[in-house]
Amino acid sequence: MSPVLCCFRNHIFKHLACTNSLVRREFSLTKLLSVKAVPLSTCTNASLTSPFLSVHIQCRKDFADMLSEALLCFGASSTSIDEQDSHVQNEEICISSIYDISKDVRKSILHAADSIGLKDLPTYKIVKGYHSDWIKDIQDSFHPVEVTKGLWIVPEWRTPLDLQATNIILNPGLAFGTGDHPTTKLCLLLLHEIIKGKESFLDYGTGSGILAIAALKFGADFAVGIDIDPQAITAARHNATLNNIGPDILQLYLVPSEEINSPSENNSTGFEGQGSYEPEASFDEIVKYDIVVANILLYPLLNLADQIVSFAKPGAMVALSGIITEQLPRITGRYSEFLEDITVSKMDDWACVSGKKRRI
Amino acid sequence: MATLKEILTRRPVAATIRLTVPAGGARPAPPVGPALGQYRLNLMAFCKDFNARTQKYKAETPMAVTITAFKDNTFEFTVKSPSVTWYLKKAAGIESGSSRPGHVEASTISLKHVYEIAKVKQSDPFCAYMSLESISKSIIGTANSMGIQVKKDLD
Repeated sequence: MSPVLCCFRNHIFKHLACTNSLVRREFSLTKLLSVKAVPLSTCTNASLTSPFLSVHIQCRKDFADMLSEALLCFGASSTSIDEQDSHVQNEEICISSIYDISKDVRKSILHAADSIGLKDLPTYKIVKGYHSDWIKDIQDSFHPVEVTKGLWIVPEWRTPLDLQATNIILNPGLAFGTGDHPTTKLCLLLLHEIIKGKESFLDYGTGSGILAIAALKFGADFAVGIDIDPQAITAARHNATLNNIGPDILQLYLVPSEEINSPSENNSTGFEGQGSYEPEASFDEIVKYDIVVANILLYPLLNLADQIVSFAKPGAMVALSGIITEQLPRITGRYSEFLEDITVSKMDDWACVSGKKRRI
Repeated sequence: MATLKEILTRRPVAATIRLTVPAGGARPAPPVGPALGQYRLNLMAFCKDFNARTQKYKAETPMAVTITAFKDNTFEFTVKSPSVTWYLKKAAGIESGSSRPGHVEASTISLKHVYEIAKVKQSDPFCAYMSLESISKSIIGTANSMGIQVKKDLD
């Protein structure tokens, strides 16, 4: 096994041991919406190092869809049915289902079959599955991406295709920002266009750090990336190192998701036992930036608009993405009080809104 | 009957995957990871797309997603309202179904609850052609399997 693969795997396992708490934590952002969070019964307690159960269930083709749905209701994490080539009606096919290691598979299948009116328990076979297998499959699917002429995003374990171009080396781990999503591309294209040199840049919701790293490569003076997900900060730090970017020009901070404005004595509240992330200096909210980019999601963009814009100097460029085109009116509506010269760029069904902060 | 053009441009399907993901909460970890990873689908693209499209739902509501994976590793997905069991648990005010359905009752709900759930389900793309009566019957069937009794009226 190549050392790179090992490194990647260790990287993921180390930082995903508490996926469970991560998912809950990230969405305490919803407290801003005064929404009651529903307990995540589907969220697993198993870490990625423990196996899961892969169950193959034989079922008649005409019941397969109904049984799949029922299985999901009774404890399966997911079901999949491979497409059949033949069209024999009463043929038996196989439903592959994934369960947590702790689940009672027999009981679940029994209830599911019962709820759709099957008289007999379908035959099934349980096999142990390992997370490393699908993680490897995903890795294999990352290839270098040319965002625009002369700008490539290259996975850590592949070689750049054009050594003369600006190559951003990435290991996204399991943080957002691999470079091939339309919103990432839209933001990268915008940065490529507007950065002239010497600017200060804030990446609000940095994920893998890709936009901050790109900004520095395009000529920005220094960049700061913040995120509510510790996994993102770790991935971003790793990527900074891959691109020979030191902490003097790229600073990364984990911020609490509830209120970014409140000064936090301890940045890693709620994450005891992380081991890998030590809180250092806290994010300084007083500093203002020449360019602020937030590539996140609709509701955080709407709710945090005041904050996001407050980090920009008057006349600075603010860009927002992670939204689908049908969500555009809400963003432009919300941000028009803060920004002028608003322009919208689109790719596929995604959009990026940019404008200059109004000088009051 | 599909047109000739549709047949010629139809992408070959590899598999149909179903899973439950909290609205706005898709991450490249279980349950999404193993389910999509085995077909080499782009996890990041799915998570980002799913999270953006489920912004209109209450955060963390468990959404039923059906993904059609094509042989060229591309995919399409549709998002449906939460599973019937989730609604039933909410209506009955319980955390989990009965341990012995048919023998030990977990809780009770009324026909009105069933009707309300059926109305929500009918707005799903897959149930739109079914009558409220047949959807309700199916909901009652699921309730019975969970040990939830359906009464005509709750006192």
